[in-house]
Amino acid sequence: MTPIQMTFSTNFLLGLMGLTFHRTHLLSALLRLESMMLSLFLATSLWALQLSTINIATVPMLVLAFSACSASSGLRLLVATARTHGSDHMQNLNLLQC
Amino acid sequence: MSYLVCVLLFGLMVGSVGVASNRSPYFAAMGLVMVSGVGCGVLICFGGSFLPLVFFLIYLGGMMVVFAFSAALSAEPYPYGWGNRSVKMYVAAYVLGVGCAWKVLLGKWSGFWGGNLDESGELLVLRGDMMGVAAMHDVGGWMLVLGGLGLLLTLFVVLELVRGVSRGGLRTV
Repeated sequence: MTPIQMTFSTNFLLGLMGLTFHRTHLLSALLRLESMMLSLFLATSLWALQLSTINIATVPMLVLAFSACSASSGLRLLVATARTHGSDHMQNLNLLQC
Repeated sequence: MSYLVCVLLFGLMVGSVGVASNRSPYFAAMGLVMVSGVGCGVLICFGGSFLPLVFFLIYLGGMMVVFAFSAALSAEPYPYGWGNRSVKMYVAAYVLGVGCAWKVLLGKWSGFWGGNLDESGELLVLRGDMMGVAAMHDVGGWMLVLGGLGLLLTLFVVLELVRGVSRGGLRTV
């Protein structure tokens, strides 16, 4: 495995592990999702650049557009959580009480 | 040139460990800014010119700015920085994990990189990745329309759901 593939693969896995073990804030979970998306952008861009298949350069642009959709949805949920519970702490998101 | 790529890859790893291990979103957002800047440097080293610029503009200038002012919603009086013990333990665990993975999987490098898009060495007008993105407008026109419609749909979804006063997803407060 080349060092660059190793780097963005571990970048993705670190974001995934951070998302799994996130502790307090909803916003930090969203930031780890963004780091996963960043590693995907790097991976697809390096595919287009290293293998000289330049038509694949459309893939990072579209991935960026759709990840903006997911980031905005996550931020909307963050605003709703802060509005109803006062903060974005994950322990407040308890289904047993409203 | 390969040393520069090594330094940038090291910066990527440090930044992503910082994003993954931090409890407070302030410092995780700083790590993400660093990772995206260094990632753009890696793309430039491989001959990309348009894709790193797009990434800087849209990701850093668009999405990170929104995350930065949404960090005000998760404000706390004493945020957990890198001096905190639990954060240091997470950093140590992630560095150990990454080090073990690198030692096991990267024992023999099978080559440093696949290629470089501006191998001609001249300053051309039509760069490779810019022409690839131009193909999105040319043969990928329907995908562009679909992406635009998806973004418009997301806009309306977000606006409807934070409407409040018992009409959206917010409880009446």
